[in-house]
Amino acid sequence: MKILVIEDEQALSESILAYFTGEGNICEHAYDFESALEKIELYAYDCILLDLGLPGGEGLDLLSRLKARNKKDGVLIISARHSLDDRLSGLDLGADDYLVKPFHLSELKARVSAIVRRKNFDGDNLIKFNEITIDVAAMKVTVDDKLVVLTKKEFDLLVYFLSNKGKVVTKNAMAEHLWGDEMDLSDDFDFIYTHMKNLKKKLSEGGAKDYVRSVYGIGYKFADV
Amino acid sequence: MKLTTYYNRVNIITSIVVLIATGVIYYLFIHLILTNKLDKDLAVEEEEIQQYTRTFQKLPLPASYIDQSVSYRKAPKDSVTVRDFSYTTYFNPKENEEEPGRRLITIVELKGEHILVTITKSRVESEDLVRVILLITLGVTIILLGCLFLINRFVLNRLWQPFYNILKRMKVFEVTSSEHVGIEPTRIDEFNELTQSVNAMAERVRYDYKELKSFTDNASHEMMTPLAVINSKLDSLVQTDVFTEQQGALLEDIYQATGRLSRLHQSLLLLAKIENNLIGDIQAIDLKELVAQKARQFEELLERDGLKLEVILCEKTINMSRYLADILLNNLFSNAVRHNIKGGKIIVELSNVKLVIGNTGKDFETKTKLFDRFSKSNESDGMGLGLAISKQVCNLYGYQIDYEQVKKMHYFSIFFDR
Repeated sequence: MKILVIEDEQALSESILAYFTGEGNICEHAYDFESALEKIELYAYDCILLDLGLPGGEGLDLLSRLKARNKKDGVLIISARHSLDDRLSGLDLGADDYLVKPFHLSELKARVSAIVRRKNFDGDNLIKFNEITIDVAAMKVTVDDKLVVLTKKEFDLLVYFLSNKGKVVTKNAMAEHLWGDEMDLSDDFDFIYTHMKNLKKKLSEGGAKDYVRSVYGIGYKFADV
Repeated sequence: MKLTTYYNRVNIITSIVVLIATGVIYYLFIHLILTNKLDKDLAVEEEEIQQYTRTFQKLPLPASYIDQSVSYRKAPKDSVTVRDFSYTTYFNPKENEEEPGRRLITIVELKGEHILVTITKSRVESEDLVRVILLITLGVTIILLGCLFLINRFVLNRLWQPFYNILKRMKVFEVTSSEHVGIEPTRIDEFNELTQSVNAMAERVRYDYKELKSFTDNASHEMMTPLAVINSKLDSLVQTDVFTEQQGALLEDIYQATGRLSRLHQSLLLLAKIENNLIGDIQAIDLKELVAQKARQFEELLERDGLKLEVILCEKTINMSRYLADILLNNLFSNAVRHNIKGGKIIVELSNVKLVIGNTGKDFETKTKLFDRFSKSNESDGMGLGLAISKQVCNLYGYQIDYEQVKKMHYFSIFFDR
């Protein structure tokens, strides 16, 4: 997929680019309003990551210009503003999603993947990984065309992992993804272990290879063997 | 009590008292004057009788004139000087009835003998006069009171109308909207001044609100950006290599600290926002559904600690921000989980008047500071902001949140109507 990162904080922008590059993804970046506007007008992207406060202009302004030109690029707003007004006006203007800083890169990737999937496969929202096929719309998982029954949270976890193939996904990120970041959970995320164990068990019973590896203390990694 | 009502009451009571007092004084004076006049007439009559007696050496005929009668009686020898005015009844032979009268008893000397003379005059006319005067006074009083009442009722109400209009507009004034309180056309200087002051104040409040909002936004932005960088760099770092167990533990600690820092910052910003009422988005919320949803959300945590959840829910809809309702329930639920004991239980009870969340837990001294910021027990791994936020949310919507401890059970109750 082709992605444009519009973010004035260079360090953050670099991390995002590094995380997204690979797997045939093309990533570009813009640090200010002018260069972002130029890129938006010249090219088409699968998804644009848009920061709201930019040198030289407002991110929401870019969004409305994009929509005025009838461009079909997906837009994910990444902002430090936790205000409901901004969230609503962003979504009203036609953004696909809104993510508040600070975020986990894995969460960002999962959201971007979801947006791109929705844009590109009309109605046929499938994720394929070797023998595993996920029908996101129908919430069905099949391994070699055999149905594997998962709970809602196990399903969400699997989709999350497949959006972050080959990456280490931290327990914090998983917990926030499944339960939301406002839950003020205790810092002990070991209860995720139960979900992971069940997911692995169900997948291997369904005939899939064991793709999940645990990373000491940090989290898990879903990768081709 | 309304100002006009109060003013009316004071006004009318004072008027009644003053008018009654005037009436009484008026009556007494008139009465006194008329009695004096009667007494003078009686004295003139006495004078005439004495002159007549001296001149003719005999008593005048005890004839009755209109409204007057004279009678004589021999006085005992020792009574030399008797002169006494008194009230009495006067028999009117023409009308053949008793009338109030005034009597003068005096002594006349005739040929060495003392004659007791009684002169009686009718008081009917003067009484009539007093009565008429009293009636007129009463009538005037009643008319005056009526006029006062009508003036107060209609003129005062109309006079105060601009005030009530301004008040009404102040009530619907919101800092978040750009509507002005506006000018109320009136000739009354005080109300004009009030309108001006209210408008000036509204402007000032709106300005402060904008300042605060932009400060909150900026603070949030400036602090969140470095946090976001740390977070993303950590995420990038863990992708770079395979880590040893020791490195993994270190990274986990950093992750947790970063997570706490960003949660702490978000909580503080949230508190500031709630305090300044910067969160709108009030909508009808099906509390029963939301509580049930939270119970599902906390399922794993309950399982982990072996907690039993007992839920009794009634239908209840409240009007508040969905975001804050979410946070409120999150805080209360995580509180109940965090301060619980292994294998304990949590009771959630929702009725039309209150929401109670109770949990088993260790005994502790009830602290009044429970709802204060950064107040937490030593073993708690929370930030000590959860209950402070809950309290603020409740304050914002006029709910009352209470804590009580009954036999190792800790209850937090939210009363929807204070």
